[in-house]
Amino acid sequence: MNVGKLIERLLQLIPVLLGVSVIVFVMMLVTPGDPVEIMLGDQHVTEEQEQALRHDMGLDLPPHERFFKFLSNAMTGDFGLSYYHRQPVTEVIASRLPATIELSLAALIFALLVSIPLGVLAAVRKNSILDRISTVTSLFGVSMPGFWFGILLILFFAVNLRWLPVSGRAGFSSEVEPITHLLLIDSLLRGRVDAFWDALKHIILPAITLGLPMASILMRVTRASMLDVLNCDYITFAEAKGLRKSQILIKHALRNALIPTVTVAALQTGSLLGGNMVVETVFGWPGLGRLVVESIFVRNYPLIQAAVLFYAVTYVMLNFLADILYTVLNPKVRL
Amino acid sequence: MTDATADNGRVVQPETIFRRNMRNFLSSKLSVFFLFVTLGFLVMAIFAPWIAPHDPNEPDLFRRLIPPVWMEGGDWSYPLGCDALGRDILSRIIYGTRVSIFIGVVVILIATTIGVLAGLAAGYLRGWVDGVLSRLVDILLGFPYLIFAIALIAMTGPGLHNIVLAMAYREWVMPFRVVRGETLAVAGADYVEAARAIGASRSNIMLREILPNILSPVLVVSTVRMAHVIILEASLSFLGLGVQPPTASWGSMVADGRSFMLNEWWLSTFPGIAILILVLSINVVSQGLRDAFDPRFHD
Amino acid sequence: MFKKSLIALGMAGMLAVPGMAAELKVGFSADALTLDPANHRNRETETIIRNMFDGLVTRDSQMNVVAELAEGWTAIDPTTYEFKLREGVTFHDGSPFTAADVKFSLDRLTKENAMGGQTSPRQSLLSALADVEVVDDLTVRLKLSDPWPILPAMLPFQELVSAAHVAAVGEEAMADAVNGTGPFKLVEWRKGQSVIMERYDGYYGGAGDIAPVGPACVERVIFQVIPENASRVAALLAGEVHIIDKLPAHMVAQVEANPDTKVMAVNGTRTSYIALNNQEGPFADIRVRKALAHAIDRQLVVDKILGGNASLTNGILSPDAFGKNKNLPAYEYDPEEAQALLAEAGFADGLEVTLDVDGANKEIAEAIAAVAAKGGFRINVTVRESSMLVSRFRTKGEPIDGQMWLTSWGNGSLDPVGIFVPTHRTADRGNSSGYSNANVDALLDEANVETDRARRAELYAEAEAIVNADLPKVYLWVAQDLYGVSTKVTGWQPSSDSRINLHDACLSD
Repeated sequence: MNVGKLIERLLQLIPVLLGVSVIVFVMMLVTPGDPVEIMLGDQHVTEEQEQALRHDMGLDLPPHERFFKFLSNAMTGDFGLSYYHRQPVTEVIASRLPATIELSLAALIFALLVSIPLGVLAAVRKNSILDRISTVTSLFGVSMPGFWFGILLILFFAVNLRWLPVSGRAGFSSEVEPITHLLLIDSLLRGRVDAFWDALKHIILPAITLGLPMASILMRVTRASMLDVLNCDYITFAEAKGLRKSQILIKHALRNALIPTVTVAALQTGSLLGGNMVVETVFGWPGLGRLVVESIFVRNYPLIQAAVLFYAVTYVMLNFLADILYTVLNPKVRL
Repeated sequence: MTDATADNGRVVQPETIFRRNMRNFLSSKLSVFFLFVTLGFLVMAIFAPWIAPHDPNEPDLFRRLIPPVWMEGGDWSYPLGCDALGRDILSRIIYGTRVSIFIGVVVILIATTIGVLAGLAAGYLRGWVDGVLSRLVDILLGFPYLIFAIALIAMTGPGLHNIVLAMAYREWVMPFRVVRGETLAVAGADYVEAARAIGASRSNIMLREILPNILSPVLVVSTVRMAHVIILEASLSFLGLGVQPPTASWGSMVADGRSFMLNEWWLSTFPGIAILILVLSINVVSQGLRDAFDPRFHD
Repeated sequence: MFKKSLIALGMAGMLAVPGMAAELKVGFSADALTLDPANHRNRETETIIRNMFDGLVTRDSQMNVVAELAEGWTAIDPTTYEFKLREGVTFHDGSPFTAADVKFSLDRLTKENAMGGQTSPRQSLLSALADVEVVDDLTVRLKLSDPWPILPAMLPFQELVSAAHVAAVGEEAMADAVNGTGPFKLVEWRKGQSVIMERYDGYYGGAGDIAPVGPACVERVIFQVIPENASRVAALLAGEVHIIDKLPAHMVAQVEANPDTKVMAVNGTRTSYIALNNQEGPFADIRVRKALAHAIDRQLVVDKILGGNASLTNGILSPDAFGKNKNLPAYEYDPEEAQALLAEAGFADGLEVTLDVDGANKEIAEAIAAVAAKGGFRINVTVRESSMLVSRFRTKGEPIDGQMWLTSWGNGSLDPVGIFVPTHRTADRGNSSGYSNANVDALLDEANVETDRARRAELYAEAEAIVNADLPKVYLWVAQDLYGVSTKVTGWQPSSDSRINLHDACLSD
């Protein structure tokens, strides 16, 4: 992979981000709903006071001026103040982001832990009972509406069995001084076994709900690519040489078979971020997705703009990462 | 379909492949079973007024929260119980099929038409056409799907047509990518070259030569996405952006029942099962198509 | 050996969970937006913040305004109020609370650009406050631009901050750097998840008129954010939290059936009504408006959907509000009368109309549509985002886009200024009916500056009688605020202004 390609990819970001910004801005412009009115809510306010607030929020400027102001500020990393939190939106987003990242990572790890062993076993024992069960499971996995599945999990594990908490990210008998802001990691780094257990209990159900469709997809991909690899000449050759089957599987087949799995996983991580908002709503998870949905409903323009740009950058980067992974794992392909 | 005898230069006859594929597909019992389940939902949607035992939208506060028939207080007239406004849940599920299937079919029809045409153009003409379309796709994909749909519905207001628009607006990207890739792959094939040599127009080549050859992956991607669209509609309804009341939609039934889940669990459980069965059936059919068409074709 | 001590450490960590018995957890429907008392306009934020910050005055359980950080106050003249401050009050950092802090806090709320270049969004809540004068360390005078009799009623939710603290940490850091005079101090705010507080042992004791006086009973307090209704109730039933707000009416029976939990209700301050388009369309005809009022069986909807937890109201003011006219005639449920009125207005075959509603009130709107059918109304319910409905209906006199809107208006101060004026004065912010009556406007304007309480109440009662006859909206009910509470909690009462004051709450085993 050469530097030129890298720069080209980064340059491709520019039209995407610009296009995304324009679309978001136009959408917000034509959508009915006045943030000033919504913010004032049930209050007795004079016309002048309302105008003052409008001015304070920068909404008294004509649209094109607002857009260019947004663009020029955005270049310097300034996305404005969230109307409701009255703090820089970057800070508000940063305060919610760790929860979303932690949940996405947990879902990703769950998906990989489930899909790779099952996918490999299904391929090795093709057409066995196990293969059939895994096929059916993966079909259920992609067909299950996440919001409904989440509710069922809560009903069963939290309400009936009371094994796991109903909602939220952590219980609060203890605080852990943040390092990475990911609770599971911080609690371990600080040696707080109790806090780690607590965080783990909270994340299990949402991570399963979020990770299930991805696990199903990855299981199918792993199974298919494993079958391809097992049919290849060099595996047959290795078998002929009398190598042990497990050795062949791990040393030769698995490495090659995982290339598509890893690539698809990187691509699907983007959809994890996007799918977060439903799961976050069901589980009361304090992440970015819920914040963005709420922001759309109350027309918190600065926050919507910044969040959508963040999603777009993440999407492009993950695609890029998928390309790199593909190249690194598979020396035959050049980027 | 094209007339097979008209093109002498054609090496592969697409009808044959397509037909063979379909025969493959129909030989799988599992796929056929779920094809029938899917068709069963279709029948249910069409004949809902004759099948449903009650008017799905007729409330009666005195029937509020009647449990399913096998529970204490259940009533045979309302086998799956009643919702918070005393409406029959079974009838609402039956009518809800209409919303899910209508949205699934219409969105996919629109998206596939646009996606196929755009994909053919991008893949065959390349150049600036491809450049513009591909950048547009990048931009659309850069939005998380739900945010995009939520924003669009916030803009236009909820309702069946707006939901269809909000989804079709981006959904065409999926068939577009598949068709573009396939077109790039077959653009240099012999039969395309031959057609070009005898002076066929570009639109002729795209629609008559290339399109029939890439129908199989289009069919696969359409069915997969249809399952996806149905879940997405339910998710939107769940977030409060679905069809207007009193129209029954499975997603909004789950959402309305959500705050009753501790006690009156039947409100959201049954419509959830309905979504699961329909989406599962479509997914099995899609899986069957994929296996039949190309055992190694993965998403 | 080493391994053993590691395990011991881990065990200690598990056991070191501080004071389980004295930790009170509140399952709360929303997170705070900020912890800066001057920088928000949000009820939930207020509820959380008010446990860490005190104000000059507060309200007792009967909603009377009583002194808190003030010893008392006197109106020297209609535009000057003098407040004597309590002695020996300290902020959480131990520094003394003085008149200079009062001036600083109130200036920060009311002066242009007083918050590091920004103006407080709460400015309009004290619109008549012109200046604050420090007389001595324990005396301040509040100067008003006009006679403004509701000043004390507007002060309970204006919390006081430390001038030195704001100077030290800076305006922006105020969002999560708390240094108040309240019964609890901040431990940590985990955004979107919880606000953790612990008892401030140097607390002066709170309002002298509200027993008990002294530091808070519990050692720690946690507001845990649980937005989903069912999850909040499940957390209460599972014993994960001790108090939950916004208990849905249909889950009351379940909370009551659990031996460890109970339901506590308090009259709310939010009036629900259907705003009708008085400008054009069928509801421009008063007969149609009256027909609708007679067509809706309000009591049935309250009993079935709200579990009976609401009191009907025949005007915009809550039965508990100041100046409420208790003698307003009710439009009783009478479908025949409704049909007769409709026929008189030219709709003998009934009338088809569209009722707009936001998602949160969908169920009630559908129930209203169901009960109104007998009276000749075929009501189609349309759910829209509340943001969109606000711009369609609250048009300040411009043409309204819609026929009817099921909505509500909250009035935490229980003073008519906060609800009657915005919803009924010609072209005011919340006038979602396009209603205009010069007599009502005149009465409201007069009451706004009338300093004699009795006379003021009369003015509002007169205005409400006129409105009741004009019927620009169909007035429905004031719902009770329902809380689910663990039986372990003692000494706590819900409050009409939706505040959750945890100073007096105790936990027993």
